[in-house]
Amino acid sequence: MFSLTNHLELRRITISSLITCIYLPSIVTVVSYKGLLYSVGNASSFYILVLIFIAELLKSFYLNSNNDIQAKKKQSKNKAGDIIRSFVFLLCVKFCFFVGIILFGAPVLDCHEETLMLSTLLTLLTVFPLIVHTGVETSMQLLFGLKNYGKDTIIEMLVNNALLTICGAWLGAVVIPLDWNTPWQVWPIPCYLGAIGGFLLSNVLTVLKVTLMSAAQKYPALNVLVHVLNRFQTSK
Amino acid sequence: MREKWNFILYLVWFTYLILSAVLMFGHGFLLSRKTLSDVTECVSLDKFGCDGREKGNATVMEICAEDEKIRRILAVPGGPLACVPQRSRVVFLLVDALRYDFTEYDAGLKKPLPYQNRLPVMHEMLDKWPERTRLFRFMADPPTTTLQRVKALATGSLPTFIDASSNFAAMELQEDSVIDQVTRNGGKAVLLGDDTWARLMPGKWLRSHAMYSFHTWDLDTVDLEVDSKIYDELKKDDWDLLVAHYLGVDHAGHRYGPNHAEMTRKLDETNSRLKKVIELLPPDVLLFVVGDHGMTETGDHGGESRAERTAAYFAYRGAGLGGSGADIATGREVQQTDLAPTLSAALGRPPPAPSLGNLLLPVLPKSSTTHTLLQLTNNLKQITQYLIRYGEESQQISLDRLAQLINATREQLDKAALIDTEDELNNYITDVRALVDNIRNVFREVWVEFDSLSMLRALLLLLLAIFFNWLITEGIPMERLPHVFAGTFVPYGLTAMALCISVCYTAYYMKYLEDLEHAIILSTGLISGGFTCVLVLIHWDGITQRWCEGRSLFYERFARASLVASAAVLVSNSYIIEEGAGLSFLFLSVLALMVFNISNVKALVIWAGCGVALAVSRLYRGCREEQGDCWTAGAGVPTGQASRAALVLALGSVAAVVAVARRHVGWRGYGIVVAGLFACAHWAVGWGSLGSPSRSRLLARGSWLVIGTMFALLFKRDGQGATLPLIVCSLLFYIANSLVLGAAYAPSAAIALVLGFLALNIVSMLKSDGGSKYSLVSQRCNSSVACMWALLASYNFYGTGHHATLGHVRWAPAFHAGDPNYLDIGPPITAFLVALELFGMPLMFGAAVPLLALWGRAGATAVGPRTQLAAVFSLCLKFALCFAIRVFVSAISATVHCRHLMIWGVFTPKLLFESGACAAALLGTLLGAVLAAWHVAPAPAARSS
Repeated sequence: MFSLTNHLELRRITISSLITCIYLPSIVTVVSYKGLLYSVGNASSFYILVLIFIAELLKSFYLNSNNDIQAKKKQSKNKAGDIIRSFVFLLCVKFCFFVGIILFGAPVLDCHEETLMLSTLLTLLTVFPLIVHTGVETSMQLLFGLKNYGKDTIIEMLVNNALLTICGAWLGAVVIPLDWNTPWQVWPIPCYLGAIGGFLLSNVLTVLKVTLMSAAQKYPALNVLVHVLNRFQTSK
Repeated sequence: MREKWNFILYLVWFTYLILSAVLMFGHGFLLSRKTLSDVTECVSLDKFGCDGREKGNATVMEICAEDEKIRRILAVPGGPLACVPQRSRVVFLLVDALRYDFTEYDAGLKKPLPYQNRLPVMHEMLDKWPERTRLFRFMADPPTTTLQRVKALATGSLPTFIDASSNFAAMELQEDSVIDQVTRNGGKAVLLGDDTWARLMPGKWLRSHAMYSFHTWDLDTVDLEVDSKIYDELKKDDWDLLVAHYLGVDHAGHRYGPNHAEMTRKLDETNSRLKKVIELLPPDVLLFVVGDHGMTETGDHGGESRAERTAAYFAYRGAGLGGSGADIATGREVQQTDLAPTLSAALGRPPPAPSLGNLLLPVLPKSSTTHTLLQLTNNLKQITQYLIRYGEESQQISLDRLAQLINATREQLDKAALIDTEDELNNYITDVRALVDNIRNVFREVWVEFDSLSMLRALLLLLLAIFFNWLITEGIPMERLPHVFAGTFVPYGLTAMALCISVCYTAYYMKYLEDLEHAIILSTGLISGGFTCVLVLIHWDGITQRWCEGRSLFYERFARASLVASAAVLVSNSYIIEEGAGLSFLFLSVLALMVFNISNVKALVIWAGCGVALAVSRLYRGCREEQGDCWTAGAGVPTGQASRAALVLALGSVAAVVAVARRHVGWRGYGIVVAGLFACAHWAVGWGSLGSPSRSRLLARGSWLVIGTMFALLFKRDGQGATLPLIVCSLLFYIANSLVLGAAYAPSAAIALVLGFLALNIVSMLKSDGGSKYSLVSQRCNSSVACMWALLASYNFYGTGHHATLGHVRWAPAFHAGDPNYLDIGPPITAFLVALELFGMPLMFGAAVPLLALWGRAGATAVGPRTQLAAVFSLCLKFALCFAIRVFVSAISATVHCRHLMIWGVFTPKLLFESGACAAALLGTLLGAVLAAWHVAPAPAARSS
């Protein structure tokens, strides 16, 4: 549940979610308009991932921009080492995703390219923002459940995003066995699009919730809706 | 501890309820037909003497006119069938899904639909040469699927789903067919196109160019291939029957529907093809162009709507056709069963033995009165023989009715000799047609129509049993359960059932009731529903209280939702086809959420181990016919002989399991080691061409002996709780399973065992929210655990290389320990071994259900025996309910889809195998519960005191 105490943070969250709600659909629209939507599994569509990477990076800079100066100083001490470490960590996470996807039923011996693209996307959408925001150690602690994210609203949002992304990818697999023989039923397009959809949905929900919460200050009747949204997001 | 045996009795009761309802559903739904391997023979006219009797070996040459001889033959009652000397060659073009209105032509049509007026060649021919051309409506019987239709066209019978014969697993047609008749006389048949024919009748073809037919999205490959061959074939004259099966129109219908430009293109192609064939056709060759079924407005078929049933029948012969009057009117309705006798008659052969069709004289060459009479009497004689034989083999049709029909045909046969004039002949033809239609309708009633009343009643009974038992297991609080069952509920219930059965039996004895089985199942099911309802009402306060207080965790809700989802997708054919992958996906997801709940590294590692085991078991999963690419790659049919690597894997897996397990199970380990050694030796000795089959069989028997002994010894009480015997029981089931699975598939059983073990460990790590012993136990016997276990058990049906199709039933296990047919108890042994091979996994997992509650330090072994037993009971009932729900949904989907295109290929086999798995799981659960109840009682009581 978000708290309304920190207005600055809330505004940043809202704006970054809004940016996501704009840039992600526009990427998908442009790609599908170009007729390349069904090739998102190929390595040739790597530019989408690069675009998402840049966008997420910029968003995190925006989210981090006004953190206290001390932390910044700490980070700047060995920035190069940090970057390398986070890169290695991201690779590990990507490999874990890769293995996990295969365990869940992706082809073992072929389609590695497609599976790799999907795992890269999942890494980008789930763990990458966390790492950029908090650094490797904290995100590792978060992942292994050593640390609770408590009241940090931004981290809560990021974790919510990650969970819904994975849910979306999971749900995407549902349509694959159907015998409709449509071109988008090919591995990994449904999961890929499902992950993007889940991420988008989570961002939309965040915007919605913040809007509702601020509106509920004026009209207390809206609190019911806020409660419903909260339950939906924390039900995981 | 009064409730101890009451628990077991209640489980027995529940098992009976579910299985009896499934049985009742099966009686209403599974239309079956007995396949007879008889073959019609005819004796050539030379072998008859002038007195019309068969000469035997006498070689006296008598000279008499053919007409005279045939008259004499007709006058002899009960004589053999005589071959008609007249014969011609036939080109049989089967245009799949050629609906009758595709062939109509209306020049006045302003805006023809895409499928209208596309076959003008038929119309031109009818106008130009009415005496050479016929066009009829060709009425198909449901199921209007290509396989069943091809069977019907070839045999002249009404194929049902289960054509029960001695070997119903093979695709090959076991009955006499037109193709058999042609080749029997030294004739030659050529096949072009759809490989359904080649698979139904392998080895009968002079030349065969059969193509895989399941790529329904490929409109042209098969047609082009046939086109490239057919014109050359038409120029040759070494064949008697040329079968060409075009698939393009059907595939265009499936993909785009009839109202599409692609359909226009395919019909135009058919038109030009037909034109060319008619040009090339020699005048004395018959051309039949037929559709095997029609299609609906969306292009589907399989059901019984008129559009699906009405196909077209176009016949052409350059030298003219017979028939006259109303018989040759264009658009007359003829039955598809008529094709087989007609085709045989054209080829100079008697009708195939199972045929129930009429002779279609208008599409045969003109022939003399005596020849026509001979053909008609041949047809009648063959039908009489079939009636007699069917009455001997099956009780589906009452004997009175059969006798009546047989007498009527004999009467007609006697009349044949007295016919002289044309008018008499025409009257006779009409009489015969009416009689044959009558006979056909009698059989149609039995073979084609479902008994919807008993299907609906069975569904109701299933629903009652599932609903109230769900309320009992999910609602009644754990701590109340022992008291509920210690009371008089179960004895009263069972007494009522016994009373009910005796009343039914008395009524049957007094002839108030006709169908005893049906009445017993219905009344006992309803009464049990009432009893459980009363129980629920009495404990309604507890149920509502528990539901108000308890709020289950997310993973629990997810597990239940997954089970319901895995059942709900059974209404979709694509999910049934890919069910193995779907179940492993769901199981892994449920387990992942459980691990998320535990959230430690050990659980994560175990989860990854499960994932790896599932991934490895994909190697054994194989595929079914509908999974086109995989199937054509040759991965579908399991080969009988294990390769060297497979043998090594099998030996290694059994040895590893035995070696690891034996240390932990005390003195029982010796039995397991011996049984495993025997099994390994059985494979090793019997392997390859150098192996000794007889010794190998002996070793297998030795292994079975040890397994049987160990099972008996399981009931030796040693006062150490139920965990150990249950583990031993699962291990024994594992060894029995690997024995029947054979060396090639034995490692998959080991994978299943490992999967079960890992899942068990994850369950034992689940956190409980409260500290009290009840909350601990109720955590362990939560329905989510049972759902997870049921998903795993269902998955392992696929994991051990099975699929829900009849073609995947393996028969080799019945013979691995010698041929049981030499024994008096052969058939039960065969059935047991084959069933164990198919459903061994649900059985094993069912027997291991109590372990879920008892396993590990934190298990229910820490609490008193009463709570322990209650936990085991509630878990067993939940697991059984999971399977009952799956069976219920597959029964519903079979009912809903009973006229669906894939009902016989996908939904019905799924229902059969799901019922089998359910029965196995219920029996296994029962065994596990009995073992738990047997061992649990004394020792922990001592310990807990």
